[in-house]
Amino acid sequence: MARMKFYCDAERCIECNACVTACKNEHEIPWGVNRRRVVTIKDGMVGERSISVACMHCSDAPCAAVCPVDCFYTRDDGVVLHDKDICIGCGYCFYACPFGAPQFPEAAAFSSRGKMDKCTFCAGGPEIDHSSDEYKKYGRNRLAEGKLPLCAEMCSTKALLAGDANVLSDIYRKRVINRGASAFSWGVAFDKARLDV
Amino acid sequence: MSKLIRKSSQVKIVPGDTGKMAGQAISRRMFLKSSGLVAGGAALATGVAPVMMKKAEAAMAPGVQPERIKTICTHCAVGCGIIAEVQNGVWTGQEPAFDHPFSRGAHCAKGAAIREHGHGERRLKYPTKLVDGKWKRVSWEQAINEIGDKMLEIRKTSGPDSVYWLGSAKFSNEQAYLFRKMAGMWGTNNVDHQARICHSTTVAGVANTWGYGAMTNSMNDIHNAKAIMLIGSNPAEAHPVALLHIFKAKEENNAPMIVIDPRFTRTAAHANQYLKIRPGTDVPIIWGMLWHIIENSWEDKEYIRQRVYGFDDVKKEVAKWTPAEVERVSGVPEVQVYAAAKAMAHNRPSTIIWCMGGTQHTIGNNNTRAYCAFQLALGNIGVAGGGANIFRGHDNVQGATDLGVLSNTLPGYYGLKVGSWKHWARVWELDYEWIKGQFDSGSYEQSKGKDVHVMNTKGIPVSRWIDGVLEDKANIAQKDNIRAMVFWGHAPNSQTRGAEQKKAMEKLDLLVIVDPYPTASAVMHDRTDGVYLLPACTQMETYGSVTASNRSLQWRSKVIEPLFESLPDQTIMFKLAKKLGISDPLFKNIKVNGEEPLVEDVLREINRGMWTIGYTGQSPERLKKHQENWGTFDFTSLKAEGGPADGDSYGLPWPSWGTPEMNHPGTPLLYDTSKSVAEGGLTFRARFGVERNGVNLLAEGSYSKDSEIKDGYPEFSDKMLKKLGWWDDLTAAEKSAAEGRNWKTDLSGGIQRVAIKHGCSPFGNAKARVNVWTFPDPIPIHREPLYTSRRDLVEKYPTYEDRKSFWRLPTRYKSIQAVDYSKDYPIILTSGRLVEYEGGGEETRSNAWLAELQQDMFVEMHPRDANNAGVKDGDDVWVEGAEKSRVKVKVMVTRRVGAGVAFMPFHWAGVFQGKDLRHKYPEGSAPYIVGEAANTAMTYGYDSVTQMQESKCSLCRITKA
Amino acid sequence: MISTFLFKRVEQSLKIILAFIVLLTILLPQTVLAAENNRIEGVIMKDPGSDLWRNIRQRDFAITGTTQMKAPDANILINVAGEFWRQYRTMDLIPLAGSAIFLALVGVFLFRILRGKIMLAAGRSGKKVLRFTLNQRFAHWSTAILFITLTLTGLVLMFGRNLLIPVFGAEGFGTLAMVAKVMHDYLGPVFAVSLVCLFVLFVNGNQISLKRDLEWLLKGGGLFGKHVSADCYNAGEKGWFWIATLVGGTIVVSGLVLDFPIFGQTRATMEFYLVIHGIAAVVMIVASFGHIYMGTAAIEATFEVMQTGYCDSNWAKEHHDRWYQKKLDEGKEVSAGAMDSETPGTVSSASEQSS
Repeated sequence: MARMKFYCDAERCIECNACVTACKNEHEIPWGVNRRRVVTIKDGMVGERSISVACMHCSDAPCAAVCPVDCFYTRDDGVVLHDKDICIGCGYCFYACPFGAPQFPEAAAFSSRGKMDKCTFCAGGPEIDHSSDEYKKYGRNRLAEGKLPLCAEMCSTKALLAGDANVLSDIYRKRVINRGASAFSWGVAFDKARLDV
Repeated sequence: MSKLIRKSSQVKIVPGDTGKMAGQAISRRMFLKSSGLVAGGAALATGVAPVMMKKAEAAMAPGVQPERIKTICTHCAVGCGIIAEVQNGVWTGQEPAFDHPFSRGAHCAKGAAIREHGHGERRLKYPTKLVDGKWKRVSWEQAINEIGDKMLEIRKTSGPDSVYWLGSAKFSNEQAYLFRKMAGMWGTNNVDHQARICHSTTVAGVANTWGYGAMTNSMNDIHNAKAIMLIGSNPAEAHPVALLHIFKAKEENNAPMIVIDPRFTRTAAHANQYLKIRPGTDVPIIWGMLWHIIENSWEDKEYIRQRVYGFDDVKKEVAKWTPAEVERVSGVPEVQVYAAAKAMAHNRPSTIIWCMGGTQHTIGNNNTRAYCAFQLALGNIGVAGGGANIFRGHDNVQGATDLGVLSNTLPGYYGLKVGSWKHWARVWELDYEWIKGQFDSGSYEQSKGKDVHVMNTKGIPVSRWIDGVLEDKANIAQKDNIRAMVFWGHAPNSQTRGAEQKKAMEKLDLLVIVDPYPTASAVMHDRTDGVYLLPACTQMETYGSVTASNRSLQWRSKVIEPLFESLPDQTIMFKLAKKLGISDPLFKNIKVNGEEPLVEDVLREINRGMWTIGYTGQSPERLKKHQENWGTFDFTSLKAEGGPADGDSYGLPWPSWGTPEMNHPGTPLLYDTSKSVAEGGLTFRARFGVERNGVNLLAEGSYSKDSEIKDGYPEFSDKMLKKLGWWDDLTAAEKSAAEGRNWKTDLSGGIQRVAIKHGCSPFGNAKARVNVWTFPDPIPIHREPLYTSRRDLVEKYPTYEDRKSFWRLPTRYKSIQAVDYSKDYPIILTSGRLVEYEGGGEETRSNAWLAELQQDMFVEMHPRDANNAGVKDGDDVWVEGAEKSRVKVKVMVTRRVGAGVAFMPFHWAGVFQGKDLRHKYPEGSAPYIVGEAANTAMTYGYDSVTQMQESKCSLCRITKA
Repeated sequence: MISTFLFKRVEQSLKIILAFIVLLTILLPQTVLAAENNRIEGVIMKDPGSDLWRNIRQRDFAITGTTQMKAPDANILINVAGEFWRQYRTMDLIPLAGSAIFLALVGVFLFRILRGKIMLAAGRSGKKVLRFTLNQRFAHWSTAILFITLTLTGLVLMFGRNLLIPVFGAEGFGTLAMVAKVMHDYLGPVFAVSLVCLFVLFVNGNQISLKRDLEWLLKGGGLFGKHVSADCYNAGEKGWFWIATLVGGTIVVSGLVLDFPIFGQTRATMEFYLVIHGIAAVVMIVASFGHIYMGTAAIEATFEVMQTGYCDSNWAKEHHDRWYQKKLDEGKEVSAGAMDSETPGTVSSASEQSS
């Protein structure tokens, strides 16, 4: 079975935030919750690169390991999902996640965060596929419709890729060969330009 | 391994759309309820109109298969495809249009959030008027009646020129055309739109160089480029999907990407070479590059000989721009300039992309012509992968420009001459004398010693409407001041001189705002009456054609019915025209259903009249066919291979010559001689005569493929056809229509058909000219900005003399530059865009998904300037412009800008000089995010040809608030 | 704060190792998997993601950037402390806390077997001495009830996944855990208040007297042999008081930081206080076993003291001889009958009435 993965091509990501709003659009995500975000490093300096980050659907997911109620599960295709009926909103997953993926609708007194929300790889949740419950809790289930995550599908420069790891590797390999550079060539381009003179 | 805790049985992934279930519409309500905004009490809790409610409930019916509607994004001129999913009239989903030829399913933040507009709680919901400082809901009839009565009264006392018709680049082509026609029927040339402050200098500069003032190639054609240079352009924020095409060339062709910009933009971050210029030094950097090209003999000499006029004059000017002088003026060292020039010269075809960074200057027309000269020197115009890829801004700014929502021309760039009006009178089947009678009968300008009728006089441009109101009546070249403004889809915060604009708004007798949103026009003044807000629906709630940056016309389908009490613009135009007594001539040949004019009929009328730029072949039927089959067009060439539109270029990029029946495929690349004209090939236009001072202006030995005339030739007319012996190729009907006409005025299209039949361009075959002898600076030269911090350069590169009457108004240059403001205002202030917002930003700041991403208006400051001013990242500061208007914004300390340069994005409004105006919006219609308008602090300064505003270099001082 | 500083130092030194571990654990399996899949197609290929994240790690370790999101830590690309938190919780806290609590229970059990119930040597006298006022008892019992509730709810969250899911099932436990979390979060601040009251009401008499307390401790509190002379509180009781105050205080402070995530606390802050909270709680729970046992079943006539406020004079004589002597001097010994007339009131009025 295919292993579903995200890959963000930092050479192409321009921080246009289409992935962010596509996600909001598809799942009606409220203000303050961002299943996906774009982080720019070295902003404004040579070597500036942006990367779109969301749940990476880790093979050995730290969120699942620390969850006190064990509400996470991994599908056969590698997508890590969680059950909001079980989630108690403790925030442990957010502390453990390397990518800052888990989101909470609020941050109020008495540790009231609401149920954790995160990227589902557009695969809904444990409810019945396409049910109204599933939509309300987890958003649309595109995978069950034979579609891929909307963030990647709408990426302006096709920097964000989603899908079978093999296919992604293939695309990635072609791009790297074309560029003859690393995945993250900090400032290399500028040096080359100087050598060109 | 993982455990399975699915509550349902595992559903297999099946390809194809299994449809979306109900619950999405209701989740819209859920979104509002669970939104942090509600929890935070941040004023989201406004009533939802009953109309919306009903629809939302209707969409809850389970098992409804969504209807998939194809349309085009309304944000920028890239023209991305959208697939909207609609259930029971509610826009419930948005899918990527993977087979769209421009976007391949891609979107930027705005396009990916466009479905929000179909739900827009923050819209202007019903006609509203200001009564004693309070907003009052009124009926459409009352609003139209009161507005009409006031206008007619102003017309009686002050003449038709005292009503200003400010249109929009957000119009569809048909609406833009109707708007321009309506202004003509009203009897004024005081009609304009955003293109004036966007690419007017490009249109003027480029059209005067080689014929047409539009993007020559297409974004898709950048795939063929071997080098890409972007100057004053930041597509990563302004046209993100364009980078899909640029990156393809960068990666697959190893094309060097060169960015020239005062800011290290998101685009620059991905460039191979970055040249940080001082704002306003475009001519020096381009001449600096050309200096190296000429020095090393890299220019395309044969191309120049055949197709360029006046290059020796350019050479003389370029010779002055030695590397040392370029570095002194622009700040870019020789090594970088050389590397960029070499990259462009050694990797041909190379393309150049420019945007507002180059156009919005007092010497904007010089800049654009310098870019053109650069590309001509390299022989890059008219070749695939080369060209001047001028990215237009708003989604239909190209179309609205083409359709003449401008104070200096009728639709199709026919100008305002007697012949121009007579041509259109014939198309409209109206009496020319009646139209003339609609205008003020006086004359305020002279040409060649003769009085010029107001009808043939350029109107006041949008950039100067403020002065049209405030300037002493005696100094204006029209009967009276402007007394009524109609803001029909225009954000005032995109214009400079905010404080004076406020004053002008307050002086008006009547202020009418037609827009889906109240815009800053509704709140920035302190008026207590005489303001009307009319809710127009968005382009998603009506339909029509839209012209993308690459001249392709795309058909937009209606996604949803107009929300609330809003109406399509064409309907509002009908209502108003009827009230003003001009609806009969306006809609003479256009069917009106109820009060809504038939859009297809409008396009057909456009097709009958727009011969100059070939808007004649794009019939509604052909455009709809292209929309339905957009997947059959090639991603790089835009040509359909097979399918119902076989052989056509996508969207029939103009010129699509002749009648629709002629089936011209459109012209994907302008001036491309490698193709026959019938297939979309073209030569440079013979627009400027056949010779000047004994020098031939026609092409020499260059002609398009299959041309029967193997040399240059002038534009076609009945006489020329007869001379060539081609007259008998016309049918009898064509002959009678063509007699005494030329290719622009022959309403049968026969002259064009026959010219093309013989492989010739209807508009002739000439040289491009790099010496525009009709302009203030025939050869582009550098002039320092009016507000410059480089006083040492003012003497050598001074600005123009002040002008007494320029576009009806006195215009200042030297008298401003003469004063040294740089002591008090040491920092150069420039402005630009952000990806999340668009234009004035009212629409996008009212979209919760976008507004969350940009919550604070800011100014970018270099760490050095920040330290000198004693401010830290995130502090509040006052940015005070050199004309003393000031804005209170947050500081972003960043190295994107150089030391001594500050940058502000211009999308904010709703705060004016520190005062929050949120409470002044009609209830429930304030955008989620308000902030200071950058242009409040921007200063005076207008282009010497087009009156483009200077919003890219001024001076300011920044102090802690 | 020194602890914060220390934590930062630790964090810094661990950063590189941790990041390496994070990336390795996350990416290695993927890489292997991808390689596995690719081998089938005859091409060895890496997961592109692993290249990207390795690059991010290797190039200047630039993990902090800018973003348009307003949430705390949204600008951090890789959360290096996350793996530390995971290791700590799953590998250290839960097993060690489980062992500690289990061993403490075993210890109490062994003690009971070895020592049996400690009876009053002289039997009950029937005469009572006022030992705790109503306020003291009220504070004690509210704190005790809150403490037990918080302990139980805390333990549910700590061990429930392993111990209770098999019993209640995932959803049943989910509900239970939700209740536990809400109680824990809302009662925590109440506990903080009651702990402060407790301190104020009991600090008098719990001041440490080095000589006497040392002596008491050296003699093992007289558990195995002759009774040791003691004041109002012996060193054991004082120890508990100070544990309750200091460790309890730590729990309260860390708990409040965790309970009110409204001041933009970063993940590192929250993780730090979670570590502190967990360790302190376990220490307090273990210590509480000693207190609960000693105060209830270990010694005859002890439990009733906190129940009624009065102790038997023989109990006082045996366990707190010096304090008893002082009370005798003040003439505050009363007969059993007089006790019933006590009405709620201030400390002084109650003692006046009874004398």
